[in-house]
Amino acid sequence: MNKFRNIFLILTGLAFIVASCTKDLDTVPLDKDELTSAQVYEKPEAYKQILAKLYAGLAVSGQQGPAGMADISGIDEGFGQYLRGYWYHQELTTDEAVIGWNDQTIKDFHWQTWGPGDVFISAFYYRIFYQVALCNEFIRETTPEKLDSRNVEGQLRTDIETYRAEARFLRALSYYHALDLFGNVPFVTEEDEVGSFFPPQKSRADLFSYIEGELMAIEPLLVAARQNEYGRADKAAAWTLLAKLYLNAKVYTGVEKLNECVTYCQNIINAGYSLEPNYEHLFLADNHLATNEVIFSINFDGRRTQTYGGTTFLVHAPIGENMVPLDYGVSDGWGGVRTTKAFVYKFYPDATSSLRLNPIPPKKLKSTYPLIYVPGSHQGWDPANTATVLASVLSDGNYEGYLWFPANTEFKFTTGPNWDENYGDTGADGILDPGGDNIIAAEEGYYKINVNLNDLTFTFAKTHWGVIGSATAGGWDSDQDMTYDAATGMWTASLELSAGEMKFRANDGWDINLGDTGFDGILEYNGDNIAIAQAGTYSISMKLGVPDYTYVIERGSYDHRAMFFTDGQQLEIVEIGDFTNGWAITKWKNITRTGENGSDLTFPDTDFPMFRLADIYLMYAEAVLRGATNGSTGDALTYVNLIRTRAFAGESNGNITGGQLTLDFILDERARELYWEGHRRTDLIRFGQFSNGTYVWPWKGKVPDGTQTSSHLDLFPLPSSDVGANPNLQQNSGY
Amino acid sequence: MMKHANMLKVLFLLLTWTTATALFAQDMTVKGKVTDASDGNSLPGVTIAVKNTTTGTISDVDGNYTITVTKGATLVFSFIGYNPQEFVIQNQQTLNVSLSPSITSLNQVLIIGYGQVKKGDATGSVTAVSTKDFNRGSITNPMELMSGKTAGVQIISNSGAPGSGATIRIRGGSSLYASNDPLYVIDGVPVANDGIAGTRNALSTINPNDIETFTILKDASATAIYGSRASNGVILITTKKGSTEGTGTTRPFVLDYTANFSAYTIPKTREVLDGDAFRAMVSDKFSGRENVLALLGDGNTDWQKEILRSTMGMDHNISATGSFKNLPYRASVGYASYDGILKTDNLQRTSVGLNLNPSLLDDHLKVNLNGKGMFSKQRFGNEGSIGAALQMDPTKPVYDENNAYGGYWAWLQNSGDPVGQATTNPLAMIELRDDQADVTRFLGNAQFDYKMHFLPELRANLNLGLDYSKSEGNVVVPPYATFSYDKLNGGGELSTWDQKKRNELLDFTLTYARNLPSLSSKFDIMGGYSWQHFRREGSNLRTNDTLSAGFVNLISDTSDNATEYYLVSFFTRLNYTIFDRYLFTFTLRNDGSSRFSPDHRWGLFPSAAFAWRIMDEPWMKNVKTLSQLKLRLGWGLTGQQDIGGDYPHLARYTYSNQTASYLLGSNYFITLRPEGYDKMIKWEETTTLNLGIDFGFANDRIYGSIDVYKRNTKDLLNYVPVPAGSNLSNYIWTNVGDLENQGIEFTINGRPYVDKDFSWDIGFNATFNKNKITRLTMYDDPNYIGILTGGISGGVGNTIQIHSVGQPTNSFFVYEQVYDPDGKPIEGLYVDRNKDGKITDDDRYHYKKPAADVYLGINSRLNYKNWDFIFSGRANLGNYVYDNFSSNNATYERLYRPEGPYLANVAANVDEAGFTVPQYLSDYYIKDASFFKLDNVTLGYTFNKMFNSDARLRLTATVNNVFTITQYKGLDPEIFSGIDYSMYPRTRVFVLGLNLQF
Repeated sequence: MNKFRNIFLILTGLAFIVASCTKDLDTVPLDKDELTSAQVYEKPEAYKQILAKLYAGLAVSGQQGPAGMADISGIDEGFGQYLRGYWYHQELTTDEAVIGWNDQTIKDFHWQTWGPGDVFISAFYYRIFYQVALCNEFIRETTPEKLDSRNVEGQLRTDIETYRAEARFLRALSYYHALDLFGNVPFVTEEDEVGSFFPPQKSRADLFSYIEGELMAIEPLLVAARQNEYGRADKAAAWTLLAKLYLNAKVYTGVEKLNECVTYCQNIINAGYSLEPNYEHLFLADNHLATNEVIFSINFDGRRTQTYGGTTFLVHAPIGENMVPLDYGVSDGWGGVRTTKAFVYKFYPDATSSLRLNPIPPKKLKSTYPLIYVPGSHQGWDPANTATVLASVLSDGNYEGYLWFPANTEFKFTTGPNWDENYGDTGADGILDPGGDNIIAAEEGYYKINVNLNDLTFTFAKTHWGVIGSATAGGWDSDQDMTYDAATGMWTASLELSAGEMKFRANDGWDINLGDTGFDGILEYNGDNIAIAQAGTYSISMKLGVPDYTYVIERGSYDHRAMFFTDGQQLEIVEIGDFTNGWAITKWKNITRTGENGSDLTFPDTDFPMFRLADIYLMYAEAVLRGATNGSTGDALTYVNLIRTRAFAGESNGNITGGQLTLDFILDERARELYWEGHRRTDLIRFGQFSNGTYVWPWKGKVPDGTQTSSHLDLFPLPSSDVGANPNLQQNSGY
Repeated sequence: MMKHANMLKVLFLLLTWTTATALFAQDMTVKGKVTDASDGNSLPGVTIAVKNTTTGTISDVDGNYTITVTKGATLVFSFIGYNPQEFVIQNQQTLNVSLSPSITSLNQVLIIGYGQVKKGDATGSVTAVSTKDFNRGSITNPMELMSGKTAGVQIISNSGAPGSGATIRIRGGSSLYASNDPLYVIDGVPVANDGIAGTRNALSTINPNDIETFTILKDASATAIYGSRASNGVILITTKKGSTEGTGTTRPFVLDYTANFSAYTIPKTREVLDGDAFRAMVSDKFSGRENVLALLGDGNTDWQKEILRSTMGMDHNISATGSFKNLPYRASVGYASYDGILKTDNLQRTSVGLNLNPSLLDDHLKVNLNGKGMFSKQRFGNEGSIGAALQMDPTKPVYDENNAYGGYWAWLQNSGDPVGQATTNPLAMIELRDDQADVTRFLGNAQFDYKMHFLPELRANLNLGLDYSKSEGNVVVPPYATFSYDKLNGGGELSTWDQKKRNELLDFTLTYARNLPSLSSKFDIMGGYSWQHFRREGSNLRTNDTLSAGFVNLISDTSDNATEYYLVSFFTRLNYTIFDRYLFTFTLRNDGSSRFSPDHRWGLFPSAAFAWRIMDEPWMKNVKTLSQLKLRLGWGLTGQQDIGGDYPHLARYTYSNQTASYLLGSNYFITLRPEGYDKMIKWEETTTLNLGIDFGFANDRIYGSIDVYKRNTKDLLNYVPVPAGSNLSNYIWTNVGDLENQGIEFTINGRPYVDKDFSWDIGFNATFNKNKITRLTMYDDPNYIGILTGGISGGVGNTIQIHSVGQPTNSFFVYEQVYDPDGKPIEGLYVDRNKDGKITDDDRYHYKKPAADVYLGINSRLNYKNWDFIFSGRANLGNYVYDNFSSNNATYERLYRPEGPYLANVAANVDEAGFTVPQYLSDYYIKDASFFKLDNVTLGYTFNKMFNSDARLRLTATVNNVFTITQYKGLDPEIFSGIDYSMYPRTRVFVLGLNLQF
């Protein structure tokens, strides 16, 4: 029977299929973006791509950018980004920053009320160990045996050996963060397999020794200082980390290692670094140009390295209320981070609430107005000269301007840059006559000229300008005269001002006076008083000529590192949630040195200088002041004054004397120089001022004026989720 | 798969060899009367058909019939709601037949995994819902057909969006992070559960009109035959088939046309401040802040009204059922079109179905061929606009003719650029985002059931299945839309994507059945093999709008991917019956999955069940009140492997996108990331114990069942934090944790009244379910609080729920609010529960949960002459909801946002709590959301014998989502996640339907 035969065939076929189909269960990824570990290391180019991920682990939060395919889970991706997590821990817990958002337990940082269940703490903790695990994986896969087995030779092999040393550096860096923030942490190296085991806990002191040993071991393997590619670690990066370990050794191990700190600082200083001349340039979209000062940076790019952490956070989060996002190179602000008055006082011990700070940036002219021309003997009778014109701000036939006339100047008005339609004043009766006689100004001086083309009248009057107000020496009673500079066309004065207010006025009277309504840098007749927040030496300049009339008040010598935005902000923090409480900070920007935007208005190009020379200078000075015997106080003073000179725009009036160089000064100077760069918490702890009562700041300990907190807070808790997952872990004491 | 495709060819060849043989005929006339066995009343409208022919008739008003048949033919008497009966005609001229109502149902055949069983012989907890019990009205998702009908099954529609899915839980779900969805098996083909791109729900691609029955397998003794996918229950869907029986019979085929015309309305919107109230509140709270007051507008816009609408929809279905020669067939075509209540939302769906089920080789080979095609075209309204409408400043106009952003009013900076953080104009979000998708799906199977000629007790069954879908879609946003604005690089969005899914099945079973009279026993044994392959691939390309000339065409995201997994299984089942009343079932399945490593790939899933038909005991003969009584006891082990990723055990590296590359030197490097994995990962396992009693009284006028169950899941597949540093991510999929579910189910159905003109059926069911996590970590840490979950709106990363040992899953984890003497909550003041003098994380406590303690369902059907009236409703008791809308939107701080700056609307009840700063974690917002919902009311009228023909017309008027009784003040108390923010409102639907059979 055919049927039976067929059934038999079918059954036989089925048996065969059954046997072969169990092989179907051995699958490998089909997606070409996803490779098995064996496939990856067949590709020579993969080694550097994995190395790139080890660095990128500090910059991005996942493989998609800016969000998606997250590296770690359990938290919003932006919050889980390495640098943002680090910054939260190092800055929000101190006087340097408060954040107004309602995200989970974020306010606990500033209040110092965190606990082991805190999601931000656990996110950064896991981020650290994520980074460690990535580095371990790369180190495990690049052993000489493995490279041999894959026949990796030649230049590639040499390169990989350097990559491997860098991976060990990056692991040491993350372990250093673990050491500093968490102290006693689980410990895993490339010796451990990937799996689900219970890593042993290493004490803080043992971890210190491990990191020290690793850095010593890789020092010879790393590229010489300043010789590696941009973004990659070199010997100087390892030296910096060693110097930091040693400077804080007392905190970490109970034993001072100041001489070692000085040694490594000297190594770096001798490697040929120099300060970037303009402090502001270190924090701009093109700060990758500052390689003379920056030792190691985390790199971001608006188009290719996108994240909601990193400098995206640092630029956006401090913008709110009256700040204009585009002034900082981004399309919007996140209205979150400000600073406390305790930090403001580091720059302005006498700052008072809500006063505006100078200098005022010169504004661009609002627009171009209809013009008439003033040819005459003062300018060679040229009606086409656009420097000698009057403008009608309201476009209503009323023209005004200021011109400098030598004695016996003769002039006329023309409505265009030619003689086609010209007016003089036949009979000197104040009425304009088409083609009339020349008008004569007998005295030399700065004339305010008004022309009304509607009724053909005009006036001109000599003015002499001065500054008056409570900020000036004469108070509201007498002017401080300004001088006219014919070359620049500006009225200037250099004055000692005190905190207060001032205005400009002409001819020692109130008939003609200028103030600034709306504080926009443009002067108005009878405008509002201009506030001066700080006592100091100011150079004041005012440019009249053709409207709009502008002015600049610049503090002669002041600390340029003070980058505050105060308009609409009050110094006192009553509500942490209210962005207007506390001064805003404008240090991080996504604009270039030439004022251009970065490549994207959401994701800045600004890199994060994690290690830079100024920090090394201050570390050197501190180690010497603390008693290192292998450095000199003379060098220490020199280094500090290099920083001070830069801060004061090249002027020496900010410099200090040897007597002023104290440890207290160093702590404050570190705040002024390094604020919002992730150093503050470590510094305060080293100086014993983080939790105790010697130094308090608003809302420390969750009270408005600040209060002492418990010393166990000097270490963060191990997250309860890891303590729950790993029986080897002993929680830090106090939690 | 090539091998299998060849197999298919061979079997089709096999089919074509076979031809039916004609029978020699001799005619005679039979007459008689059909009555109802339960009350003796005559039964009109009963179909009397000659088996395997197209000949037949219908009993008249008095139940009488006359039919001419061939001697030796078989007459089949069938009527909806009654058990069909068959008689072989020898010489009898008169044949009076009494039909018993099928609610007795002991002989009802239930479809079970890889087979079928008479209900009376079933040992497991199995419930069937068939056509006559289906919910009526506008049904776009097949699962709504059976909502509220079955104890232990919760069906919660996800939203009011057209084609939206439903969340279905059988006995509460046995997993924590792995899927809790049941396994769906359509005509013997288990379908993938991961959704089809371009549809809101994969099941909604099945035309509800093609469905014949749902069979729900609840306990492990019933589900374990599906092994690794059976832990959350199994829903077997059987689609309608061609037929030679019961189809009107005097005609070769029956045409059935159904149409529904629906009007969708919005029962309720969220209450927010109107323009005037908003102006007053901002002026009051921010008096003196000129820069804030300057932001106020003078309009009065109801933003919810601007984006929502009442709409219409319709669907048409036509099917032909009959037999061509000896080839029974059913062919159907359906078309549906619905507008969503969110503007621009629209779904159009065409479906075709064909079923052929010939019997060949003298009925030895039964073939069942099913093919279903579905084509849908959908535009998705931007659902983000619903949340935006709640927050958008009501003092602003909808349009601003002169602005550069499409003429929609928008928050702008002084520079003229949009305020990035501000609320987006909700109408612009909808109208400027064109999101469309086309989906084609084919679902088909060919089943061959062969009864061996040489050994009729042995049957072989081959089932070949294919589920294929192809989706394509694109999203277009113009560059001037504020929500896609990019001043520097050109905004807008132009993305296209596609997806292809293929799911192939080969099942082969052999069944041997035999009576053993010497042992007073009978048994059947089945052995089978199953091979299934799931493959999914897709690509996605996203650029900025190419229309924005002059800008760089920014490719911000490209991805294409493919992924697959295989399941290979061997299984067996033994049914053994002694004395016709002691029934035993044993099953065993061995499952291999490619998702696990070779060492952990094979799982063994046994089950055992015992049923005792007490009613059939001799000593029960005299118990007249009881008509049935059966005790069931079942135990089984089932598995779960549905965790999304297909390679969780493999060491893998993943490339980054361009946007996550990193600068080294002067080059940006695409990076390679090693992924976390667990070499040891395996199934999670659920052990279920079930005790059930089926009962019936008064000749089954009242019948029902009670089930008590307990399920323990161990080695939960969890996505959990692993010890820091031990793996390549902080969370991986691994087996850790245990979970326990226990509950009672109770179902009772009754027919309180029946006579010729009037009958009433009523059913009621109740479920009590409790779950508890019993372990979460690899070792016991009494201080471990659990895994936070339940992300809420407001702030970033805030969570309101937790999985903790000793607590139900997703328990709310909150601070205990302190109230003033007037009962008003005091802002920021909580109870110091651990009495340590400060309010810290440690003061949070477990308070209530989203799942209900008790689920109730009720349904009723009244027939009076040609009228029928149906209603069904559900109640949930003890379910709680976190009112996220109020916690986030009912604070004064929200009114003014300095990061814009901009203004944002707040809930109308803002003064109730009077909070300035959000108090997200206060238990004040945990609200009792118990409810009763009347889901469905239908009034129908049937015209029989239209135009003196056999044509039948039924007209219905239905209201869906009729009313809700609840004390919860939000939009809708039925929130599966327990977190209520901005739901796409479930609609109230008015439906006029007609059904014409001729």
